[in-house]
Amino acid sequence: MTDPRARIPLPDGMRDVLPVEAGELAALGAALGSVFASFGYRPVETPLLERSDVLDRAQDEGLGRAYRLFDDQGRVLVLRPDLTIPIARLIATRMADQAGPVRVSYNARAVQPPSAGSGQGAERRQAGIELCGPGGPEDDAEVIAALSAALAAAGLPAARVAVGSVALVAAVLSAARVDSERSVALWRALRGRSMVAWRAEAAAVKGAKGRLRTLLAELPTLRGGVEVLERVATVAPAAAPECSRLSRTLDLVTAQGMPEPMIDLGVMRDWSYYSGIVIEAYAPGVAAPVAVGGRYDGLGERFGRARSAVGVAVTLEFLHHAVGAPDDFEPTGVVVVGGLDERVTAAAMLRATGVRVIAVASGYRDAEGFAAADGRRYVARPVKSGWRIVDVTTGSTTTVASLEEGPWT
Amino acid sequence: MDLRICVPRGALFEESVEALSAAGLPIEPLVNLGRKLIVECPGGPTYITTRPSDVPVYVESGAADLGIVGLDVLLERKPDVYELLDLGFGGCRMVWATQAGDDPAPAAIERFGVVRVATKYVNVAEAWFEETGRKAEIVKVNGSVELAPLVDLADGIVDLVATGTTLRENWLVEREQIFASSARLIANRASHKLESAAVDELVRRFAERAR
Repeated sequence: MTDPRARIPLPDGMRDVLPVEAGELAALGAALGSVFASFGYRPVETPLLERSDVLDRAQDEGLGRAYRLFDDQGRVLVLRPDLTIPIARLIATRMADQAGPVRVSYNARAVQPPSAGSGQGAERRQAGIELCGPGGPEDDAEVIAALSAALAAAGLPAARVAVGSVALVAAVLSAARVDSERSVALWRALRGRSMVAWRAEAAAVKGAKGRLRTLLAELPTLRGGVEVLERVATVAPAAAPECSRLSRTLDLVTAQGMPEPMIDLGVMRDWSYYSGIVIEAYAPGVAAPVAVGGRYDGLGERFGRARSAVGVAVTLEFLHHAVGAPDDFEPTGVVVVGGLDERVTAAAMLRATGVRVIAVASGYRDAEGFAAADGRRYVARPVKSGWRIVDVTTGSTTTVASLEEGPWT
Repeated sequence: MDLRICVPRGALFEESVEALSAAGLPIEPLVNLGRKLIVECPGGPTYITTRPSDVPVYVESGAADLGIVGLDVLLERKPDVYELLDLGFGGCRMVWATQAGDDPAPAAIERFGVVRVATKYVNVAEAWFEETGRKAEIVKVNGSVELAPLVDLADGIVDLVATGTTLRENWLVEREQIFASSARLIANRASHKLESAAVDELVRRFAERAR
């Protein structure tokens, strides 16, 4: 006979989540959520399925990979491959009347078919926030600060946040009088993360001379602190407003006690709807950014309500990898023998005092083995004089008259 | 510096080691590699050696921070990594070649609507014929690609050519150059940010040498 575990395959990229991981993911989601709530972000939810024309409105080739199905009218539905677009739709339509600022948070799964051989999962839990406010650097800074605080609360105080800016790069391109065709090629190089292709395209730009030419060639490799912004602003004065905006953003982040993000002008999202700052966060041990986001002022308009918006989302699976196993795991709870039947009242009363009570039937033989396997600390058995309590971790035994007198605190 | 650098075995190996050495990195353990796949330099990087086509996988997944890989492999695999530098060695061309004499491709398209292409580079070949407005039937082979047109498995091949000797020996002629390839330095997305100082310093030293 075949192993029963081998019989039921899952779709590519799909997996189950067992109790340990589910508990840890839920705890991470709660930690992020409570920090988001402390900034005033309120949870919203969007449906699992969207009409495909909603995605088409976002007009983005990056969203090509998605699971699609038909409804009973033959309309094409899409299993949401991302949360940013549904959230933008929700704010632009359902919350159109709210004067703002609008602050919403979400914690939901996005699904995207994995590319073959990549070893990546199809489902991603995304916990994020979206702020529709006046649209200044203050909003950008709040989102970065909330992200840093949330990652710290989830157990990742050393995450590195890197920020770039679509608007800044665009300003340098226009200062260098890059024609539209060349500019398309440069953006493609940047989104493809190819510094080699960028330099080749930049070298072919005719208009730029001297320092501006050098700046253009080096642009996506520039990173560090405000000195990067000072250099860009000096050489390309047209980009100065974007530089001072970004520099103000950094000041406002550090003024909230958060680590200063690294400026990295090569940070770029794959999707074309970003219009200002671009945010990524990294953690040791995880190959992809644990959080991504940015400003996309033009997205709301595609759903009928133009609104400046900035947001960021943490991928819980990546965060989970980065945080690692909690090192303070302690068995908790009491396995009460007879708690399912003859001693059901006593078990219920103990549970009502706040103790975690796992009930098993009266005749249950190996309660200690079960407790150890399940990560439980104590076993309680009814005896003539009351209850005999075994501490599974030490093997020590005590006898108490009633369950409430047990060693649990 | 404890960077993990993925170095391709095979054609690019020697020049990769030279480039690493010229950039001031210790390479002693790489020179005396033997059958080891991974070697650590005390106070220096850890080198991981793999098949050339596997380099992007190691770097994209974060098993290595940096890697040296041909542009041909990058364009075929399209990994999500930073392409930092053209290292300037390992020069060769990706070409479309068919049998010497009359080019059989136009006739194949005229009579059958498709041109049959044997290649290891399925994605590159598919993209090239699509870009040039021709319908191609791609046959994936894993080695000795030049054989395919000789036994009428395909009308021609898409393959990497350095000197062209192998093509000539098999009565094949280069018809189109798809792109010129050379070795590239690539970086994992997270390592590029988390190890920014070490990565930038190394890129600077590589760039000096390439110039």
